[in-house]
Amino acid sequence: MTEEDRVARSAFGRGMSRRDFLKVSGAGLAGATLLGVAGCGGGGGGSQSGGPVEFTLSMAPDDSGVRQKQFDDFNKQNKGKYKVNYREVPSDTGQYFDQLRTEFQAGQTNIDLIGGDVIWPAQFAANGWILDLSDRFTQEEQKKFLEGPIEANTYEGAIYGIPWYTDAGLLYYRKDLLEKAGLEPPETWEELKQQAQQIMQQEGTENGFVFQGANYEGGVVDGLEYIWTHGGDVLPEGQSDKVIIDSPQSVSGLQMERSMIEDGISPQAVASYKEPESQGVFLRGDAVFCRNWPYMYALSADPEQSSIKQEQVGIAPLPKSQGNETFSGLGGWNFFINANSDPEKQDAAFAFAQFMTSPEQQKRSALEASLLPTRSALYEDQEIKNKVPVIALGREALNSSRPRPVSPYYSDMSLKMAEQFNESLKGNVSPEDAISTLQTELSDIVAQT
Amino acid sequence: MASATASGSGSGKTLNSVLFYVFLIGFVLVSVFPLIWIFKMSIITKRELFASPPTILPQTPTAESYGTIFSDPAFQKSLLNSTIIAGSTTVICLFLGAISAYAIARLRFRLKSPVMTLILAISFFPQVAIIAPLFIQFSQVGLINTYWSVIIADTVFALPLTVWLLVAFFRELPKDLEEAAKVDGATTIQAFRKVIVPLAAPGVFTTAILTFIFAWNDYLFANTFLFTEDTQPVTVVIPTFATQYTTDYAAQAAAAVVVTVPLVLLVLIFQRRIVSGLTAGAVKG
Amino acid sequence: MTNAAKENKRGGFFKEEFGNPERRTAYYMVLPTLVTILVIAFFPIAYSILLSVTDSSLTDIGAFVGIQNYVDVFANGDFLGGLTNTVIFTVVSVFFEFVIGLTIALAINRAFRGRGLVRAAVLVPWAFPTAISAAMWRLMLQDEVGIIQYVANALGVISEPILNDRTLLLISCIVVDVWKTTPFMALLLLAGLQTIPGDVYEAARVDGANVMQRFFRITMPLLKPALLVALLFRTLDAWRMYDLFWVLSDRNLESLSTFVYKTVRISQLQFAEGNAAAVLIFLSAFAIAIFFIKGLGMQTSSED
Repeated sequence: MTEEDRVARSAFGRGMSRRDFLKVSGAGLAGATLLGVAGCGGGGGGSQSGGPVEFTLSMAPDDSGVRQKQFDDFNKQNKGKYKVNYREVPSDTGQYFDQLRTEFQAGQTNIDLIGGDVIWPAQFAANGWILDLSDRFTQEEQKKFLEGPIEANTYEGAIYGIPWYTDAGLLYYRKDLLEKAGLEPPETWEELKQQAQQIMQQEGTENGFVFQGANYEGGVVDGLEYIWTHGGDVLPEGQSDKVIIDSPQSVSGLQMERSMIEDGISPQAVASYKEPESQGVFLRGDAVFCRNWPYMYALSADPEQSSIKQEQVGIAPLPKSQGNETFSGLGGWNFFINANSDPEKQDAAFAFAQFMTSPEQQKRSALEASLLPTRSALYEDQEIKNKVPVIALGREALNSSRPRPVSPYYSDMSLKMAEQFNESLKGNVSPEDAISTLQTELSDIVAQT
Repeated sequence: MASATASGSGSGKTLNSVLFYVFLIGFVLVSVFPLIWIFKMSIITKRELFASPPTILPQTPTAESYGTIFSDPAFQKSLLNSTIIAGSTTVICLFLGAISAYAIARLRFRLKSPVMTLILAISFFPQVAIIAPLFIQFSQVGLINTYWSVIIADTVFALPLTVWLLVAFFRELPKDLEEAAKVDGATTIQAFRKVIVPLAAPGVFTTAILTFIFAWNDYLFANTFLFTEDTQPVTVVIPTFATQYTTDYAAQAAAAVVVTVPLVLLVLIFQRRIVSGLTAGAVKG
Repeated sequence: MTNAAKENKRGGFFKEEFGNPERRTAYYMVLPTLVTILVIAFFPIAYSILLSVTDSSLTDIGAFVGIQNYVDVFANGDFLGGLTNTVIFTVVSVFFEFVIGLTIALAINRAFRGRGLVRAAVLVPWAFPTAISAAMWRLMLQDEVGIIQYVANALGVISEPILNDRTLLLISCIVVDVWKTTPFMALLLLAGLQTIPGDVYEAARVDGANVMQRFFRITMPLLKPALLVALLFRTLDAWRMYDLFWVLSDRNLESLSTFVYKTVRISQLQFAEGNAAAVLIFLSAFAIAIFFIKGLGMQTSSED
């Protein structure tokens, strides 16, 4: 089953997207079928009597159906040994996070294995809620995975999560328009602006470039991408108690973002765009370029969703500034183990996480649900490349994906960044002021440690 | 002023009424325009929705958006959740409110005034001031993310309304009947149950409608205590979809229409009662 | 009075109140309601106050820190922004609701055909969940499909996207609130007007009072009780407004209530500060109520 099927299934989900941090999918439908199998949630358990070790997995709903098949296979393979119970949780990553936080804080969770967002590990690990997996998930094993996801799951030198599938920001472009104008996909932001202007004039395309500029988590990712591709960063590598965002590089990143509106490349409204809006504009044929997650490629093949054809759509890594590297915001989902579960349940949970992240199952998820693998080797797999083109096309961007700041207080940092990036994009504060405000605010937050 | 316009010469009167009806129609149009426009958005095709300039009348009406939302189990579930939450709140409020209101309206006791003040003081409470402590308390007893968390919170904030209305209605009932019942040997409780309750049925019914609308409209508590689509009511589900997940604006419009239909029906059918209930407190107070 | 006499009187009070079966029953009948509101509303307020003077988080009650959280919250730009927005929103929206509502009430205070229809039509916006009407208006303000945005652009009134601009968002919130609650205000005032007997006007007219005099000398004073009740509830509703701001602006426009929600429910670090803000909202709401009751002489009870 393809991404577009998955997306089209849910009613509200016309145009709804799978994305790294705002995980939303068809909800109820899949939930109902999964619950049917899960039976009495976390109630079961005791293996004293010699039955299988039952453990509870929490994960946002999925309506591709492939996950349920994987659960069944796991239970079958481990009959009498392990049994997975699925517990449905909110599809909105923020709410899911709140719920887990509440349960952990109350010490009342029945979840043994968490299928969770890539921005959570530090926050959970710092509170002692999830298990340090360094002994089980060895360095050697980690090397088989993409670097970005591993880095995101590492906190203070220890690994806390196993990357399950990944996501990265991509530059979508109108292949037909660029070819007609005799242009190659842009490598720098300046080129992107020039090309956009040229095509807007020649073809009358309404917008040059659309992205996610709203005051929310996605706006943080887009803002960070501008900062990273101009050589700036928020925290020094491997450190979470020092803020280095106040740099000329960061300022020029935000200046570039703001200039998209000032120079008429992006509509003013981009400052209130999230994924669906930017996707809507691009797929209606009203923009030359669009920054979005991999999910959008499949949608472009669906005439219900898209007025342009998939052949008209090209994918490239995000542009960079002169002399810097390209970076894409990293998204994706991972497995974390509850530090307070019974050891035998932790073992069972780990076995399940290994199963789901094995090459075979990742390939299956890629083929049937368009989920992007976290194992590097799978990007060489011919069958995947043929059947899920976005994986081949987005390869370069995925290789340069970078996690958002790894901090136990990421969610508070994110609120501040979302606000300042958005204010700067709207032109209410200058990029310089936004960056220096952030330096102060973020320093206050990380000082909590 | 109003009575001044009522008299006057024949032609002046006609002009006056014309102006009056123009004013009236203008007022009604402003009130209902957004609903009509949203309804229009819900029955047009996507192409038409994005047309510029926008069409005034739907060119090709379609029920597609309604098909979309009704095939979504999450939406159906949220309608059910709203009904359960608002229905339970109404029942509990009526039960608690009716016995208290009877005591206040009919029985003599010294602390009546402080009791009434205490109950009505709740209507001055900013709900948001207690979400943090309630969140902690509900977490501790495991009520978070259950219907009960919202039902309990809604009940407390609907109670002043319920009690106030019921006191007003109970006071209007003739006293002789209960007196007669008591002379016949009925206790206070029996007098309440056998005499007052049946007589007060219309007033109780009005109170029920207003309490139901109050609970149906809650957003803050539901948005604070409920996390999953299993329990979230429509007030939470629709804005979430509207702001975060989709550009299917037509489906959002359709969802808004569907949710408001029961309310519009309630209002249309019971407008007289609702108005009498709404104004009972303010005018007789 | 001696202590013994006091004792005696108190004993007498209890004896009188609980010795009499009717009175005892009355207390039993109000008890469930009282217990419910004490446990679910008054206790949490006390808890909030406790949290607001400690260095607490969602899980732990921390050390006593005095008024530090209150000092912090008044240094917090988001809180001050929320305060400003809430004050503007409350004053402006209640003013317009009052003026327009009174005009309408005066105009329709007579018998005319189609009265039921008018009443039903104006009740509809009132019956709507605020969160849903906010979502609906957001659709109309949206930059691609929004009719209001289109008309504003076409007329050249506004060139930028409405949803981008905090000032325009605040104005939108006010407009939506006026749209939604003016009918309610008009109905309350209309009911008040209908209690004023017609012969009072007649007598005034005979005495030579003109329209304005009649309005200010008769209508307003007689309408005052209904007016104050309506104004108090509208003011308090506006003061604690959460859903309209949250949904219409998609979390971009701060009010006092959205600030509290953000700090206690979303942030991990500002919980205690948020509780200080919560207590401030509570106190200010009570101050508003007391101002109406004592300052403006609103009647509160309807004792027999």
